[in-house]
Amino acid sequence: MKLLTFGPIALCLYVCPLRCVSLPSVAVMDGEAQRAAVSWENGTLAPVDRLRSERADSPTPGLVEGTEPGAGQKSAMFVHAQSFEDLTAETEEVAQRDAELDKSEGECTDELKVLVGEKTIEEQRNSISSETRSKEEDVSSEAWRSHRKHVFVLSEAGKPIYTRYGTEEALSSTMGVMMALVSFVEAEKNIIRSIHADGCKVVFLTKSPLVLVGVSRTCQSDKELLRELQYIYYQIVSLLTLTQLNHIFQHKQNYDLRRLLAGSEYLTDNLLHRLDRDPGLLLSAVTCLPLASSSRDVVSSSLQAAKAKNLVFSILLAGDRLVTLVRKKDQFLHHIDLHLVFNLVGSSSSFREGEGWTPICLPKFNTAGFFHAHISYLEPASELCLILVSTDREDFFNMSDCKQRFLERLSKRSAYQALKEALKCPSYSVAQVGIPELRHFLYKSKSSGLYTSPEFPAVYQSDEEQERLMGLYQDLHSCLHHPTRPLRSFYRCGETENLLAWVTSGFELYLCFSPLATKALAVSAVNKLLKWIRKEEDRLFILSPLTY
Amino acid sequence: MSTDRKTSLTDKQTKNGTSKYVLERCASINEYYDIAFKVMLLGDSAVGKTCILVRFKDGAFLGGNFIATVGIDFRNKVVDVDNLKVKLQIWDTAGQERFRSVTHAYYRDAQALLLLYDITSKLSFDNIRAWLTEIHEYAQKDVVIMLLGNKSDMAAERVVKTEEGEKLAKEYGVPFMETSAKTGVNVELAFLAIAKELKHRVTQQPNEPKFQIHDYIESQKHKSGCCSLV
Repeated sequence: MKLLTFGPIALCLYVCPLRCVSLPSVAVMDGEAQRAAVSWENGTLAPVDRLRSERADSPTPGLVEGTEPGAGQKSAMFVHAQSFEDLTAETEEVAQRDAELDKSEGECTDELKVLVGEKTIEEQRNSISSETRSKEEDVSSEAWRSHRKHVFVLSEAGKPIYTRYGTEEALSSTMGVMMALVSFVEAEKNIIRSIHADGCKVVFLTKSPLVLVGVSRTCQSDKELLRELQYIYYQIVSLLTLTQLNHIFQHKQNYDLRRLLAGSEYLTDNLLHRLDRDPGLLLSAVTCLPLASSSRDVVSSSLQAAKAKNLVFSILLAGDRLVTLVRKKDQFLHHIDLHLVFNLVGSSSSFREGEGWTPICLPKFNTAGFFHAHISYLEPASELCLILVSTDREDFFNMSDCKQRFLERLSKRSAYQALKEALKCPSYSVAQVGIPELRHFLYKSKSSGLYTSPEFPAVYQSDEEQERLMGLYQDLHSCLHHPTRPLRSFYRCGETENLLAWVTSGFELYLCFSPLATKALAVSAVNKLLKWIRKEEDRLFILSPLTY
Repeated sequence: MSTDRKTSLTDKQTKNGTSKYVLERCASINEYYDIAFKVMLLGDSAVGKTCILVRFKDGAFLGGNFIATVGIDFRNKVVDVDNLKVKLQIWDTAGQERFRSVTHAYYRDAQALLLLYDITSKLSFDNIRAWLTEIHEYAQKDVVIMLLGNKSDMAAERVVKTEEGEKLAKEYGVPFMETSAKTGVNVELAFLAIAKELKHRVTQQPNEPKFQIHDYIESQKHKSGCCSLV
């Protein structure tokens, strides 16, 4: 480790991924749970593509990827393999990179390793209302300094592009210093990764022509902070394409990118908010609207029938939940791209009326070009939003026609009523599982890239409590996906709840129990829960994704 | 049996003229039209393009926070012009620079363009010339253009005089008026004048006098001006 002393601040370059541990409770590795996990791993490898009728009623020891509850029958909707860009990202640990490269694309299931992350609880206390005010905030004030997490984006010429708090203009000298640090280390043929000083972490992500800097007072690791910066980077690419970004800065090095990003700041603000709150971004997965499979199949096939030459993806959302996704054969949507679409749709009420038509780059699909998305709500006051992604800029009327055909077809079927009914209760109570001590859980099926989670119980009704629980999950997640010492399972007793996390090749599971529950009970609850999810998988997951 | 009941219900509704019947009739009227035209709203970001459209379409004002339009937003409205149903397909565009390439692609389909500036923003007014250059490059030769100075209710913050707008409009030979999405002044008129002009172009008989959009606007504008004073 190289250490530079810079006044009172110690600069640690290439810092080992040491986690700052400040857990409020005792963390215990659970030997018993781990053994069980191993035994599950050693089961027979069942074929991935199984018919619904063949699916086991209860999870067997041979529950591997492709057979876990929620696994799709035909093929997954999302890309699971890491893209080349992920693998070569300079931010990754070299050892891990090598390990990943060894795997073939198809086998490489653990995309989580790339984007491991956790959030801490305190950071999320900034409510949306305070965020809207924060833009006018005085950057020299103590209040500005004391924000839990700052995010800055600048150009390689040191020009400010984005700041989470305060105005970019007021921060031009601060961003100049950041760029100076990057260049100073670069001059020595080195890359600055992070600065650790006084309870504060400064993380750098250089993605030419942009530099992203995160300043955090949370106990998140560098890697997790980098993952968030990467999301912000993809958000910017999704607005402009990397080709355009490169072109602009090759043409004019000191270009003020805010000119092109004008009016999009709210997207980045909202994405940062989502990174703190949405389990989907943590798990690299999306959640579905619970809906009877017969109804979902009708919706999917209606969407499948409304196809057009240049249509690549048809996505039907209910709020932040996926109803169905139909894709062109052989084309996959990466979960990061889908989260960017969710963010775009969820952040703007501009699509509420009429029909929207906007260019969007899906950076994990292709950083070079734009897709064009037709975005509209099925009915004015409905939560159902249809996104039709086309490759052709002049396809608006074709897409509009697809939407009409889909709507006409769907409204004739009773499934539309069922779908509207399902919207009234977009979640379910954990009591349905029938484990009294179980308060909440997150379950992700790795092969489908989908997760399910019940609504928050009464004890986690307040925003603070929900964010605290998310923080605990994030903490467990980072333990399971530690870059050098990953864990299979993790049991943790706390004063207010007991938690169990478990990862196998097929699924990832996070459970939250009342503090009175025991470890033995928690382990037995896993089996009961998996049986319940298996029983309900038709409703909770999209088991038969369609293609055009 | 069910058919019987339905018939009797319909009868009752027709006799009483219940609201349901009226609503159904309105919906069908909205669907039905004689001619359709494409109209596009252009101008810098935050000059009030979406607000003008919402005022015209729903008679409401989008107060509070500014919501930037993403890409292009497409809406329909059917208006009556001399007993003819004219459907206006209105493209509401995003003012931001990064969406220019998308808007360009739809310029040439548009038969009319409403070009807006904000009377409280000198920059948005100065950019009108650049917009007109773009229009000449991408739009159809015979496109109907109308210049609108929006936010006329904000008299205290005004930086662009009415005369300046008139002068610029005269220079380019386009009709001009000041509008307010907040109070609704001249909003309906702007769209109706466009609809009339387009309708006359299509249905004009050889011996019929040409529709004079400038004269029509002048006569109507004064009227609404008087009303707003009251």
